[in-house]
Amino acid sequence: MTRLLREERNGRSALLTMNLAPGKRAYNEDLVLRGGVEFRTWDPFRSKLAAAILKGLPDDIVREGSRVLYLGASTGTTPSHVSDLVGPGGVVIGVEFSPRVAREFVERVARERRNVIPFVADARDPSRYAVSKVDVVYCDIAQPDQTEIAIANCRALLAGSGTLLLVVKARSIDVLKEPERVYVDETAKLEGAGFRVRSLTELSPFEKDHALVYAVQPG
Amino acid sequence: MSTEPTPGSPEFEALRQKSIAEAEAAIREASSRPDLHLVQAIQALDDTDKYLNVTATRASEWYGLHFPELIQMVQDNIALCKMISEIGAREGFSKEALAGRGFTDKKVDAVLEARDRSKGGTISDGDVGRVKALAALAVQLSNLRGGLDDYVGSQMKKVAPNVAEVAGATIGARLMAKAGGLDRLAVLPASTIQILGAEKALFRSLRTGARPPKHGILFQHQAVHTAPKWQRGKIARTLANKIAIAARVDYYRGAEDASIKAALDKRLESIREKYKEPPRRKPDPSGRPRKEGRPQRREKFRRR
Repeated sequence: MTRLLREERNGRSALLTMNLAPGKRAYNEDLVLRGGVEFRTWDPFRSKLAAAILKGLPDDIVREGSRVLYLGASTGTTPSHVSDLVGPGGVVIGVEFSPRVAREFVERVARERRNVIPFVADARDPSRYAVSKVDVVYCDIAQPDQTEIAIANCRALLAGSGTLLLVVKARSIDVLKEPERVYVDETAKLEGAGFRVRSLTELSPFEKDHALVYAVQPG
Repeated sequence: MSTEPTPGSPEFEALRQKSIAEAEAAIREASSRPDLHLVQAIQALDDTDKYLNVTATRASEWYGLHFPELIQMVQDNIALCKMISEIGAREGFSKEALAGRGFTDKKVDAVLEARDRSKGGTISDGDVGRVKALAALAVQLSNLRGGLDDYVGSQMKKVAPNVAEVAGATIGARLMAKAGGLDRLAVLPASTIQILGAEKALFRSLRTGARPPKHGILFQHQAVHTAPKWQRGKIARTLANKIAIAARVDYYRGAEDASIKAALDKRLESIREKYKEPPRRKPDPSGRPRKEGRPQRREKFRRR
């Protein structure tokens, strides 16, 4: 059974993920029953991965059993849905630098979900959280050198032919450059590092000046 | 990484619990940092200022319907709110009620005369009750503000004595709040410290080529805002330089160093001396009159 559902809600398509911790909310999302199983609504305005999937990113990149390194876990909104998607056989290694937001991530997500391992650490130092090789690196961090940081993490922890999902935050990389220009430059960096870039999904209207790059590391 | 625990196994769960415990310890340690408490205190102080202003203004506006002359005569909003909350309606104003408020006899007489000839309307008991409560809240907020101000002053002396000495306690604390803590302030370049709080002007400058801001929060420092306009940029830059050094000494060495303030004072003195006169406008070589409005950036710096 799939852990991700799509349905029409008020004439819009909406996403739901099967709740790994039934009865528990990670933020203030809705809990709904579908076929007797509890799902959580996944808001594309709050989660860039949901936005990308609604805008055409393949939805089988993060799937049941995946091991995911999640950089920039923040308060854990998106990590909680990734945790739903990978299910009990998967792993989410969640890394967050800021203690303030990590508090909510640990409290509301990591403690409640048995496939989530939290780290309050700097993504520039992958040795701090090197507990397992992973199938997917998801990177959503507001740093000018976010692409280089993501590449370094892939080198350290991404299994051969694994996937990188990189949220390109145009305004964090260069406030003055045109976002489209930033997307092209950052994509070129990935290709220069040997990644094959499969797609770039611009996230408007859900998120301004953000795009999600889907790239594969050669095996 | 030699052991890759299987999800759901006891080893995996042990690893997860250990990780949670470490993350929580890191969070706990971060939340007990005194500089972060100081950041909250200065923000509470600035918030309180805002509430105090709106509350006192509302109380005096409302009470002004009833006794407008008093509002005119008492400039200090807090003293006014104290009177409103303690005395209430106009009829309550008497020599006794006005005693001990620091008024001269002449002023007391003037207030009493205004009471008798007031152009204000009558006020119901219900209205008096509400205005009194509102005025009392303003007085309370003023006390809260005083307490926070003292606290920020004394904590800055402990947490960042050199920044407090060079920038002043409240401005130093505001810079710390903007930077996100003493650790962050200590690694900021002086040029960033100079314009903290002027982000809007900075980005406008980067985007359009308008002139960059000379100062942000630092404008509040009396050495900057009391200086003549043409000296302010230089003074703000010097001040930022010394604050950067002070923050580093506070964070990494943690000892007071009087030489920073001394060097600042010396440098400020030489700026004031050297740039006593306003700069003369350079005549335009083209002979055309100066253009009005914001100076444009030179071509080579402009964005394509």
